[in-house]
Amino acid sequence: MRTDRVAIPAGVAATVAALAVLFYYPVWSVLVAAVYQGGRLTLAPLAEVLTDPFYTGVAHHLVTDPLGVPGGVVEWLAAGAPPVRLGLFGFTAYQAALSTAASVLLGLPGAYLLARFEFPGRRLLRSVTILPFVLPSIMVAVGFLAMFGRTGLFNDLIGPLGLGPVELVGTLEIVVLAHAFYNAPLVTRLVTAAWESVDRRQVETARTMGASPLQAFRDVVAPQLLASLATAALMTFVFTFMTFPIVLALGGLELATVEVWLYARVQDLDLAEAATLGTLETVLSLGLTYAYLRYEAAQVRAGGAGESLDRTPLFDGLRSLDARRLVLLAYAGVALVVFAGPLLSLVVESVTGPDGGLTLEYYAFLLELQRGTAAGSVRPLPAVRNSLLFGAGTLLLALPMGVLVSVVATRGGRGSRAAEALLSAPLAVSGIVVGLGLLQTLVFGTELFGHRVVVTGAGAVVAAHAVAAYPFVSRNVTPALGGLDGRLTDAARTLGASRARALVDVELPLVAGALVAGAAFAFAISVGEFDSTVLLAEGVDSYTMPVALERYVGNRSLGPNLGPATAMGTVLLAVTAVSFVVIDRVGGRWER
Amino acid sequence: MRRRTFLGRTGVGVAGLAGLAGCVDGGSDGEAGTATDGSTDTVTEASTGTATGTTAGPSGTLTVATYSSFTGEDTAGNWLKSAFESEYPGVTVEFATPENGVNQYVQRKQRGAPIDADLFVGLNTGELVRVDEQLDAQLFATVEDRLEGADRVKEDLRIDPQGRAVPYDTGYISLVYDEDEVDEPATFDSLLEPAYEDALITQNAQQSDPGRAFLLWTIHEQGPDQYLDYWQGLVDNGVRIMSDWEPAYNAYTAGEAPMVVSYSTDQVYYHGEDVDVSRHQVGFINDQGYANPEAMARFVDSDRPDLAERFMEFVLTDEAQAEIAVRNVQFPAVEGVEPGGDFGEYALEPPEAVTYTYEELSGNVGEWIEQWARQVAGN
Repeated sequence: MRTDRVAIPAGVAATVAALAVLFYYPVWSVLVAAVYQGGRLTLAPLAEVLTDPFYTGVAHHLVTDPLGVPGGVVEWLAAGAPPVRLGLFGFTAYQAALSTAASVLLGLPGAYLLARFEFPGRRLLRSVTILPFVLPSIMVAVGFLAMFGRTGLFNDLIGPLGLGPVELVGTLEIVVLAHAFYNAPLVTRLVTAAWESVDRRQVETARTMGASPLQAFRDVVAPQLLASLATAALMTFVFTFMTFPIVLALGGLELATVEVWLYARVQDLDLAEAATLGTLETVLSLGLTYAYLRYEAAQVRAGGAGESLDRTPLFDGLRSLDARRLVLLAYAGVALVVFAGPLLSLVVESVTGPDGGLTLEYYAFLLELQRGTAAGSVRPLPAVRNSLLFGAGTLLLALPMGVLVSVVATRGGRGSRAAEALLSAPLAVSGIVVGLGLLQTLVFGTELFGHRVVVTGAGAVVAAHAVAAYPFVSRNVTPALGGLDGRLTDAARTLGASRARALVDVELPLVAGALVAGAAFAFAISVGEFDSTVLLAEGVDSYTMPVALERYVGNRSLGPNLGPATAMGTVLLAVTAVSFVVIDRVGGRWER
Repeated sequence: MRRRTFLGRTGVGVAGLAGLAGCVDGGSDGEAGTATDGSTDTVTEASTGTATGTTAGPSGTLTVATYSSFTGEDTAGNWLKSAFESEYPGVTVEFATPENGVNQYVQRKQRGAPIDADLFVGLNTGELVRVDEQLDAQLFATVEDRLEGADRVKEDLRIDPQGRAVPYDTGYISLVYDEDEVDEPATFDSLLEPAYEDALITQNAQQSDPGRAFLLWTIHEQGPDQYLDYWQGLVDNGVRIMSDWEPAYNAYTAGEAPMVVSYSTDQVYYHGEDVDVSRHQVGFINDQGYANPEAMARFVDSDRPDLAERFMEFVLTDEAQAEIAVRNVQFPAVEGVEPGGDFGEYALEPPEAVTYTYEELSGNVGEWIEQWARQVAGN
């Protein structure tokens, strides 16, 4: 009974400790370089970036000449508001806004389809919506080039219709599309989970009181979806604000973002400027996260612990094909092109030789690598095994961490918004900053009492993955937990249950759907993570699938092509798809 | 042939060796002055100066830091490992392949962390400049005048005036183009013509070796004062700058553009009956190629300085040079080595090789690249 009582505070303390060692300390070690130079505090690097039109575009006047701004705006309006120079930060925000809009447009109908309709393969489809999340950007770039390139499948498809050719490579459009590929499934996933937890009885009540289906949706369902939609949109904006490999691989340097620049500064070992950019980026995204959390808390949610809405069959004979279903079918077509196209192209690439003929050479190459014993060989099976083990380890750590943060968020008093923002910070800090910090602190080691303490190996990888993954668990669980009827917990506690017992026995079963969605995210983050894995992994024993894949990209023993990497990419696709289906199905047993 | 005795593990720090220098000449502390041209190194096969006194060869583990594709099945790195280990049965060669390459060791040095490697393989001129700009302390030891065979390295490939980094192979950056789509561009200025609109894919010089070499080549030919204007012309004519070689070459293969910046060894990969060689023509602009030598250097902090230098000498032997060339698909760095087979037949050498020296890049390369990137990204 006593351990029961301290379980939650102890868990929170452990979460904070893990964060401090694996996240805040490394990140701090990087950011401090931005404000601490030559032994003293300085704002010079920050001022240098803010006053440089290259970075801040027209906004640099706000710093260099604040008094002239109103006059400047008037002049600008008088000139007919011509396009202004956005600067690196402005452009980054602009493309992130476009990417967020595209992700919502593409993801929302998917949520509607999955939450409100029944059709064969619905659960499978729901499971694999998370798949794009784990794909390394180099593979996505290959898939997109094969799909939307000048001679790609898309142009082959629209050619006979007398359309095209569409030239997308190197444009902002393809970057936005690739961001939608990554993030629309996030929108779908989060909104579907929220939609499924809408209580049917509330809708029915509204309808019996005379509301039309549309009114019932507007007044009952939509408010409950809005929180999850806002979460998804915010996450998408933050991710695409910090985007970098996709921009470089598909767009090119002309479309450089802040993160592209940060990465280049790191490569050039100009760590002070990198830290400055990282600080500004972090302040922006943490600020957004905090603002969002305030909004989320202000949302009044009705209890969602009842029965979920019925799904209507998608296909019910030809006569059922009404306008709504036709639109959905058209949507399915678009989704097929955007999501299945690049993945399919990837798989096709893995069985196609340079001359265009069918070949199994790349898979034979993987098998040969598996048999090989040469030093430095990255064998495929250990990589698969490590990925699955690390994924399982991440689940074990990230699920309790995420749930605890959700408890803090939903039950906390004053300052819980700020606490939550700080606890959610791993979402808002760029992977490069975290990776660099981990390298400089844990990987290189720190002098402690005369000993050099070095943290590497499998344990460190799992811990780093868990830190990156738990915010996804809490972002899934918090809205669901917040939507529960508080009287249920109160009743349990009156009957003598501890806070922890009430959480495990009463609340968690009621939010099982959100928990499973969070678990799938945590697993996906772990499987797809690259930056910190490659820095923390010690030798061949801790290689994961994305690391192996990256090594195969650099392997030219079969000639200058991506064959072996696409074969490994296909393996990664298959392994993760099966894992997600398993997570969803096993997790689903706890659902009603 | 072996001019020096190998000492095995010294068990003393690098600085401590100075005190032993009287009886153990080998210059293992990296001070160039202690062993001038190797003439003082006359110790013969027997281990006269060691406390162990055994006649067995050197033993221990040699850690070679390199890039990941230098290791693995059928690579130059693995051939070197096996060949070196069979020559010295007591020695084990291990590889470290940090993701961030030489930066890892610069940062380790800056942070006072142990280096944990004996030598670095795969250093280019720009990286050496960066190492020196970042560090006040020496990261690499001066070894060249002690290494047998180092005098045979081709003169125009030597990248380090201080004799620390010793080249072991070189690539030549060139264009690869589809001759059915475009003619070979004769000069850099011709790339600005309408005939080459949207025709060229290159790589980001901030992080890609061939991309950086191509940028340096244009600066070499257009001049440091004009190259930004020249690049504005290239951008206006639709050049595409992708992150790295793989996506760039992949886009080229997918028909996105008829020319890509790549290596003059392209046809070593693409030849034979079922290959359309017209898609793999090598273009030497101005009849030039930009040489990008790869060098090796021994860490000052190495525990096994002599073994590391023995390995470097081994890399410079004719046999190793031919194998590295074929397996790494780069040209040998040593005079008089002719790799046979497909490499000998299909690797093309430019009529004239150009490159920037260490002195020319020093103090410039970072600024050149940043200005270039600002110009392109600011569009």
